[in-house]
Amino acid sequence: MAQHDVEIVISKTGEVKVHIKGVKGKGCLEYAKWLSKIVGSVREQKLTSEYYEPEVKSKIDLHQQLNDE
Amino acid sequence: MSAVVILTPAIVAGWPTIVAAVAGAASALGLVVKQSVKQDIDIAQQTQATEQTVEVELAKSEVVAQNLAKEKEIVVTKGDIELSVSRDERGRCKVCAKGKGKTKAELKQIAEQFAQKMAQCFVYNRVATELKNKGFQTVNEEVMEDQSIRINVRRWVD
Repeated sequence: MAQHDVEIVISKTGEVKVHIKGVKGKGCLEYAKWLSKIVGSVREQKLTSEYYEPEVKSKIDLHQQLNDE
Repeated sequence: MSAVVILTPAIVAGWPTIVAAVAGAASALGLVVKQSVKQDIDIAQQTQATEQTVEVELAKSEVVAQNLAKEKEIVVTKGDIELSVSRDERGRCKVCAKGKGKTKAELKQIAEQFAQKMAQCFVYNRVATELKNKGFQTVNEEVMEDQSIRINVRRWVD
């Protein structure tokens, strides 16, 4: 299971800053879209490095063969 | 980190939601809800004609279910200051401040401060409800020194 964390800061004027963490790929944009529907409109959006990471983790199995010499 | 988004609030809601935000803002700023019937206010206004009055409109606001909200007004007070929140002819939410011994500039500042607090309470109520509906659990919640509210929520997804 993946842990999705969201930090929301509501300024004293009602402006909202949302920091979505732990959501890789386009999933974080879905959260952003959902929150913008609730609050109002997007003024600024910054994508961080995690956005560019693949959504589905590929499973890599490493097999080590020990050959008796 | 994934994404950082800054959102500008739009206050679009029915009258009960507006009233909840007004009550929250009043409580935070030490005001008391006085009454919510417009007719009573009209009488009071006639008897206090010497008071200064200032109106501030909430940007990007709309009171939906307009017919229901047409005659609604909620009044909050603190000492000699009286703030009334209502819907104007265009459907926008407005805050009207009046009080004896206050200049127009002072009343404007009070009305703007209340309008901002109201917007913050409105957004908080809405966000908290939607996060709960989406299955988020609150990890931490605090009011910062600059009066902003920080909420940390978490959920687990398959």
